Amino acid sequence: MALEIPSPTAPQLTASPAAVSAALTTTEVRVTSSFRGAHIVLYGAVFDPTTKPSDVVVIVRGPEHPIRIARKTKVGGLWVNSRPVVFRGAPGFYMTASTRPLQDIAGFGTLRRLGAGIDHLAINAPFEQRTETRYGVRDVVVSRLGGDYLDWRRAVIRLKENAGLYDADDKGVTFVDKDLFKAEIDLPTKAPIGTYQAEIILFQDGQPVSRKVRTLTVEKAGIERTLYLFAHHSPWLYGLVSMALALGAGWAASLVFRRN
Amino acid sequence: MDLYLPIAEVSVNAPLLVALGALVGFISGLFGIGGGFLMTPVLVLMGIPPAVAVASMANHVAASSTSSVISYTRKRAVDFRLGGVLAGGGVVGAIVGVELFRWLRLLGQADLVVALSYLVFLGVIGGLMLVESLQSILRRRSGQPPKPRKERRPPWLYGLPLKMRFPRSRLYISVIPPVLLGVFVGVLSAVMGVGGGFILVPAMIYILRMPAGVVVGTSLFQIIITTSLTGVLQAGRNQTVDIVLATLLLVGGVLGAQLGAKASSRFRAEELRALLALIVLLVGLRMGLGLFFTPDEPFVLMTGMG
Repeated sequence: MALEIPSPTAPQLTASPAAVSAALTTTEVRVTSSFRGAHIVLYGAVFDPTTKPSDVVVIVRGPEHPIRIARKTKVGGLWVNSRPVVFRGAPGFYMTASTRPLQDIAGFGTLRRLGAGIDHLAINAPFEQRTETRYGVRDVVVSRLGGDYLDWRRAVIRLKENAGLYDADDKGVTFVDKDLFKAEIDLPTKAPIGTYQAEIILFQDGQPVSRKVRTLTVEKAGIERTLYLFAHHSPWLYGLVSMALALGAGWAASLVFRRN
Repeated sequence: MDLYLPIAEVSVNAPLLVALGALVGFISGLFGIGGGFLMTPVLVLMGIPPAVAVASMANHVAASSTSSVISYTRKRAVDFRLGGVLAGGGVVGAIVGVELFRWLRLLGQADLVVALSYLVFLGVIGGLMLVESLQSILRRRSGQPPKPRKERRPPWLYGLPLKMRFPRSRLYISVIPPVLLGVFVGVLSAVMGVGGGFILVPAMIYILRMPAGVVVGTSLFQIIITTSLTGVLQAGRNQTVDIVLATLLLVGGVLGAQLGAKASSRFRAEELRALLALIVLLVGLRMGLGLFFTPDEPFVLMTGMG
């Protein structure tokens, strides 16, 4: 069963008798040693007593993770990374699927308010340029007012798109029957671990009229989880054990070959 | 058969990694080196995050070095005393190196330093070794006697205080040069993900003037100690050791190392050195030259650090 999550930024819905409902074929993705990404299908239905044309937009957001990005600059003939810049509030995974291109479904303001579409992604850069110290190293936090802010923002999106982590598919929602629709979510191997939110919004006349949220968790399972937790909870013991294994394997190999 | 690595968080082809481990192990046994300088760049090209590749290599190098050092011990070709002094420096170097690497990664400059280190160290060592081995090959082809080794030992080796006797190497030298050499190699092992044999072996021959018979065994002994510590420190401080990745590599690696050691007797020493020099030079250039070309994508995401 999917959980209804009240979102603090729940949009003001236009009063309408129409409603949308949806379910995911998988709500738990288990990352095991054979994990090669996941393919999830979302099914939904539109309930509408009228015959107004409807559009459906599905937005999937992965767990938020600060992004550190650097720009290569030429210093003395060498291409060198600049100081990293930090973006906050960017989801680790983001995809939209819709029945039509988003800009045809609703206006700029509506999409911006809903955070629908990569262009409207709320990547929070602070208003003031400042540096902050983390782990003893100073990071530059880019200013939203800075002249090259857009270059940086576009780069974040481009790199995430190339990694298969950001995606927009304006034909991703297809109606399989009169009121029954389907969307596909492809999680790449690099998809971050954590809780994902799939937001399903029904649009009529350019306005959101009904909205549902479903959650999806991606978590390591089995031996992957055991090793990951071991490496992070008792890192020193993990280091000793893995090194003992390595030395033991070397010793065993020399024994085997001596016999031959 | 694809396998998802728990720490690297990428999916890799398991048989390919075992084969790669075997190939590098073979080369390592053939030339009496750890092979990390070859393996780390290949792993990075395969899409393993550099920090994980560098850290997990320590385990692989330690495993294949252990397997070779045991056979060298049987031949009494390990100077444990000198190896211990080198390793003493190596321990300090490894601790410094792991902290340095952690700091460089946070600064976003780890890639640069790794690439530059490969270019400079592999380029210089590979170039020198290539010239030297080609000269001896040419000399032998033209029927000249091999160049007599300069027996005059550099005076600074003897002028320094804290002298110590190393009977197996027939040396009576200050401990300062081997300790410093150990520190240097320890830092490299943490930063470049290598054992450091490619630097240690020439340095032991040309700087410490050790007899050739004990050089490889002693350098491998010091590499085991340094890389064991590096591996544990990388896991403890940075959580970047992938036990699955390391195991896949070392399964192939230890087998390949034994086969390589057997095959090495079929080749002439200077021909082996020329071949190794060529490999070292190519890897150094491949890793370092990217710094000079205009990148296709001017931005890079810094991964592996929350």
